[in-house]
Amino acid sequence: MPAIVVQGLERAFDEVLAVQGIDLEVDEGEIYGFLGPNGAGKTTTVRMLTTLLLPTGGRATVAGHDVIREARAVRGSIGVALQEAALDPLMTGRELIRLQATLQGLPGAEGKRRADDLLERVDLAAAADRRVGTYSGGMQRRLDLAAALVHEPRVLFLDEPTTGLDPVSRKTIWEEVRALNDEGTTVFLTTQYLEEADQLADNVGIIDSGRIVAEGTPESLKAQIGHPHVQLQLAEGSVAEAEEVCARIGKLLPPKDGKAVLVEVENGAADIPRVVRALDEAGIGVESLELVRPTLDDVFVAKTGHHLEKDGEGDAEPEAVEA
Amino acid sequence: MSDFATNVRVVRALGMRSIRQTFRRPQLMAPIVVFPTLLLAIQTGGAGGAVNLPGFPPVQSFLQFMLAGAMMQSLMLAGNSGGIALAVDIEMGFTDRLFSAPIPRYTIVLGRLAGTAALGLFASLWFLAIGLIFGAEIHSGVAGALIAIALVTAAAMAVGGIGAAIALRTGSASVVQGLFPLVLVVLFLSSAFFPNELMIQPAKAIAEYNPLSFVAEGVRGPIVSGIDATELGEAVLAIVAIVVLGLVLSARALRHRLKVG
Amino acid sequence: MESVATLPQWRANLATIAALMARAKNELLRVPGAAIPGVLAPTIFFLGLNGVFGALTQLNGFTTGSYESFIVPVSMLQGAGFTGAAAGVNLARDIEGGWTDRLLVSPAPRWVLLAGTVLSASARALIPATSVFLIALLLGAGWPGIAGLLVTYFMVAAMASVAACWGSALALRFKSQSAAPLMQAGMMGLILTTTAYAPLALLQPWMRSVAEVNPVTQVMDAARQGFIGGVSWAETWPGIVALAALLAILGAWALREMRRTAV
Repeated sequence: MPAIVVQGLERAFDEVLAVQGIDLEVDEGEIYGFLGPNGAGKTTTVRMLTTLLLPTGGRATVAGHDVIREARAVRGSIGVALQEAALDPLMTGRELIRLQATLQGLPGAEGKRRADDLLERVDLAAAADRRVGTYSGGMQRRLDLAAALVHEPRVLFLDEPTTGLDPVSRKTIWEEVRALNDEGTTVFLTTQYLEEADQLADNVGIIDSGRIVAEGTPESLKAQIGHPHVQLQLAEGSVAEAEEVCARIGKLLPPKDGKAVLVEVENGAADIPRVVRALDEAGIGVESLELVRPTLDDVFVAKTGHHLEKDGEGDAEPEAVEA
Repeated sequence: MSDFATNVRVVRALGMRSIRQTFRRPQLMAPIVVFPTLLLAIQTGGAGGAVNLPGFPPVQSFLQFMLAGAMMQSLMLAGNSGGIALAVDIEMGFTDRLFSAPIPRYTIVLGRLAGTAALGLFASLWFLAIGLIFGAEIHSGVAGALIAIALVTAAAMAVGGIGAAIALRTGSASVVQGLFPLVLVVLFLSSAFFPNELMIQPAKAIAEYNPLSFVAEGVRGPIVSGIDATELGEAVLAIVAIVVLGLVLSARALRHRLKVG
Repeated sequence: MESVATLPQWRANLATIAALMARAKNELLRVPGAAIPGVLAPTIFFLGLNGVFGALTQLNGFTTGSYESFIVPVSMLQGAGFTGAAAGVNLARDIEGGWTDRLLVSPAPRWVLLAGTVLSASARALIPATSVFLIALLLGAGWPGIAGLLVTYFMVAAMASVAACWGSALALRFKSQSAAPLMQAGMMGLILTTTAYAPLALLQPWMRSVAEVNPVTQVMDAARQGFIGGVSWAETWPGIVALAALLAILGAWALREMRRTAV
């Protein structure tokens, strides 16, 4: 039985249709990545699936229960870590997890045991008895994640789990998500980072302006868009000549990012030697050469006409030490 | 352009900003007028029998008597809120911008007080209107009304000066806000809500010397009995005393702030 | 993979309410000075009212010669109103900050979540009530007797619950702390348009009409009994009925708003 089934799900706010009739299915044990820019409708969708918001159309079931008619049953089967880490700065980490355990109906002793285990697992054991208000952003996210797991939910919802985190904290969360998935938990995660969807998700749904514009495995989506291309910067020789040479090997693409020549190559890396030899024979010097594979952003651009991430944003950050 | 003319322009500009701020946020303005109105209704309805007490001054109605008290409450709240607004400016860093401009410091405070004065003016008009609507007479007619309005507006500014001083000293909006209960205390210890002769000790003794009592009686006189020169004089003196206190405290707070940064 | 080790529903509910109340006490114990406004406001009002309007007892028909005794229950109930409304403000803050989502996403029944807020307010209201009571005794108010004191405290705790339901309903409706003045003003209006300042017969005609239909008048009179005379069941049960009715109506509204906030 699929873990999540969504049919024609819709949500209107006054005149605005934030989610415009989406369909999707998530199998048990899958990691589903919901990818889209700010304002696309990701959070609205998650809030509907976690029974925090009433849909204005369509239906959805989570862990076999209808989100409208069997809301309580849904709540007992899901773990949720929302974009706004729902934490109380006056509580300690341990108190928060134990409260969550109580909310889930776990007996006191069991709650205590699980709190200890989970705090250990997310590496917060040392900070467990400090107030949450003293935690860093990364620590708060890890605590939020631990709280979502206290009742061993079948389906885990993560709304932008790594937004605003440094790369090291982000990797830590990714590892934890993979570990959970290995244990059998279905994960529905929303993100605006294409690397996150690419790295983690078994299946990706790309959402823009309330609609799903593409769905599939990251590989199949990228393959849809086309082939890798080679980017060249010339050291000597004319651009026109280089273009002529390359046009014989593959399809020329319009130049971008200040690169002189772009040529699409069918066989990917295998075609590089051909390009290099052909340019060399023509006496054209190459300063730099790069093979660029299609990204999910390319998929996004192809489907919507605009980029997912603005130029310069994204994950190209230098390694940083965790605060 | 003379210095004086420049300063006037600065005060006017800051004053306009302060007034605009005040009236653009009705949800902040409302408590200053709504709470005292609520209290006026409740106290008139609940304690109105007081007019039958032996020794109660002759009045047309308890409402007529209480109008001054309601105005006093509003002007105190207006002064408190002016202090809060200045503290917010300080927290936001806006005052730093002003301090580093070539303008004398007093223009900054004066500009802020313009907003407080506008509130005081509004409150006095509001309660006079309420009084008239519900049947209270203004004994000295238009002249009396004008006197009441002038006193309330001036007193609002005077109290605002104290609020500004506290804001300058502490730089914290929540501290100024936390002083709001003190506002009530000071008013209760005056003859704003009841004739001084009929109050209970020790509040009675304190109210006798509380400058706010003089202001309240100066506002009340024209409404209830008539324009009395002594009463008026005492009210003005009391306001001046508060103004002086506010100026002294503000000056010291400014010096402290500039030293501390 | 659903957890097998869950408690029976009624025990889980009790545990949840207890846990939410435990969290609520952090507000007082872990934030320095947090208890002060709640205690200060009703105490100041008590001292002020007494100093200003104390002479009213000279009026013909006043039911006691001691204004302190007459208005002690007013200030104690005001403290209850203030505490309950403050609970609503805290809920609005929790909603704004996202904390309430955590509660709404759990399988805990909605009434259990509300009960946590409401019962905490009840308990907290005993603090300003006691402060006012002790000061009143110092100023010469009559000792109400054990029965009178118990009745008064009961009324105070229940009134705080009523105020908390009112505050919570507004918080859930507007999802913003800017509704705070409405929460406070509403309770102030309810509690003071009663026999707060004077006995029924001495109120102005329009106020008398309002007080006659205002259920809190029954609560006020019941809470006042011990301070101005003896305690009787005849004077007490109308207050209980009034509180039960208010709790039912405002509690139902708050619950409805909570259910509308999420699914």
